Amino acid sequence: MTLKRLCRSTLENISHVARNTYVLTFRSHFLSHGVSAGQFLEIKVPQCSDILWRRPFSIHNIDPENDLVHVLFHAIGRGTTVLSMLEIGEGVEILGPLGNHFHYDEHLEEAIVVAGGLGIAPFMLMKRELRQRDIKMQLFYGVNSSDHFCALDQFADYATLHLSTDDGSRGYHGVVTDMLIPYLENLSENASKSLFVCGPTPMLRTVQTIAQQYNIAAQVSVETIMACGFGACVGCAVPMKHPVPGKKEYYLACKDGPVFHMHEIVFDD
Amino acid sequence: MIDLTVQIGSLTLKNPVMTASGTFGYAEEFSDLVDLNEIGAIVTKTVTPKPRPGNPPRRIVELPCGMLNSIGLPNVGIDDFIVEKIPFLQSIDTHIIINVAGTDEQGFAECVSRLEDMPGISGYELNFSCPNVKHGTTFSTDPFIAERVTKSVRRSTKRPVFAKLTPNVTSISEIGIACENGGADAVSAINTLIGMSVNTKTRKPKLATITGGYSGPAIKPVALAKVFELACKLSIPVIAIGGIATAQDALEFMIAGATAFQVGTTNFYEPDATLTIKKDLEFYCQENNIPRLADLIGSIQL
Repeated sequence: MTLKRLCRSTLENISHVARNTYVLTFRSHFLSHGVSAGQFLEIKVPQCSDILWRRPFSIHNIDPENDLVHVLFHAIGRGTTVLSMLEIGEGVEILGPLGNHFHYDEHLEEAIVVAGGLGIAPFMLMKRELRQRDIKMQLFYGVNSSDHFCALDQFADYATLHLSTDDGSRGYHGVVTDMLIPYLENLSENASKSLFVCGPTPMLRTVQTIAQQYNIAAQVSVETIMACGFGACVGCAVPMKHPVPGKKEYYLACKDGPVFHMHEIVFDD
Repeated sequence: MIDLTVQIGSLTLKNPVMTASGTFGYAEEFSDLVDLNEIGAIVTKTVTPKPRPGNPPRRIVELPCGMLNSIGLPNVGIDDFIVEKIPFLQSIDTHIIINVAGTDEQGFAECVSRLEDMPGISGYELNFSCPNVKHGTTFSTDPFIAERVTKSVRRSTKRPVFAKLTPNVTSISEIGIACENGGADAVSAINTLIGMSVNTKTRKPKLATITGGYSGPAIKPVALAKVFELACKLSIPVIAIGGIATAQDALEFMIAGATAFQVGTTNFYEPDATLTIKKDLEFYCQENNIPRLADLIGSIQL
């Protein structure tokens, strides 16, 4: 796996792609090569000495030909709001690549991706990898309201889309996991198919149950609070499904993850 | 050529920059970002006699200029530590200080005894002051116990022993003096301040353990006052810890009486901070015609 580095780069572009949602693009030869879907970066919030931790973001996509890296994020707190207001040409300090990545079984023919909200972030890079491997992509993508959807056109050129909104403004009216069950119900066999999941905790819990019920392999990218991103702070503990009591009861999202087999972990609130 | 060396008991450090326990893992985590050989001394994450899984999440909270943690000393235990962590640490060309803790007096001595014959270890730091484990601070809130445990560790090792003190006491120097009387070669101060944060929507504490340890640049003035107090009252060296993020911070502590210092929380978000600080200390000495950094120690003008 590529060693992590501290990189100084400049902001190439920032675009407002959906409600409160931005794609930040910076130039880095190092980070646009040799990274995989699921891995993440940490970006320092500039000009805010009181904001200590770097912000972790999934690598949304890369453009190795042009040395570009994209991250997708919601401007929700002060740190991400400052990042959303960066201007093109400003310096950005990045640490990465961090964490592990999604794996594709050699017999995998179809990736069934389940994304909730900003959980879509790692799957653009996954689309790139699936296309290179000639693996089909089914994208189950749910958001609160249609103005939250990101990059649907870019996904549509390869994936089959199954969209849902909580308010019914586009696609299925309800949660995305409702659409997953009939799809899995109609599959003739599951062996060459796998679930790839990222999203809010209630969705992850539901998918975990569904994956078990339909006996289908599932990998999940988890999101946790972290101070360092590389195993030093030990703050990003994820409870293990099968702990060794008194000895090892937690994984670290940054180092053991962020991608886990879904049956290995417990989704806490 | 600036002389950055400092002396802590029998140890000569090539520079006063150390890493604070629990913020630098077992050094390997930083090996692709920092030339570990350049650091004055590396203090490892705490090891205990038996493995510990650590506290349930949520373990950390970010605050302005600081953070709360309640990690709970997760570690593999001394047996696996020797097999899994020691070989890499031995490969680093600097002083390695193993931070140890126990739930009782014997626990501290047991860890030290197990490590005593291993080459490549320069000394031990006694974690008397973790606020996030049961009985964690007992050892450094009661001077009688602090002295007794220090004595028992002293008997188990020929190597330097540092006692890491909590600021969550009425008089830190009273505990420091007890550790000195027990045979400690230095004290490190301060560990984290007990703190708390509440989610106003759920009305629940943000940390699973309700309270945790507050660290980061916000605590620097508190740490500085404690380090100054210790430096005035003790005759053994004081190793400063608490919000050190820049060479300027480090200089303040050295002028106030610290012989060396540990970079802690800063490692999480500026993983190469140790070496940046070292370089900037060198620049400071050059600019101010200070040939020997150690001359600054305790040079405060009152």
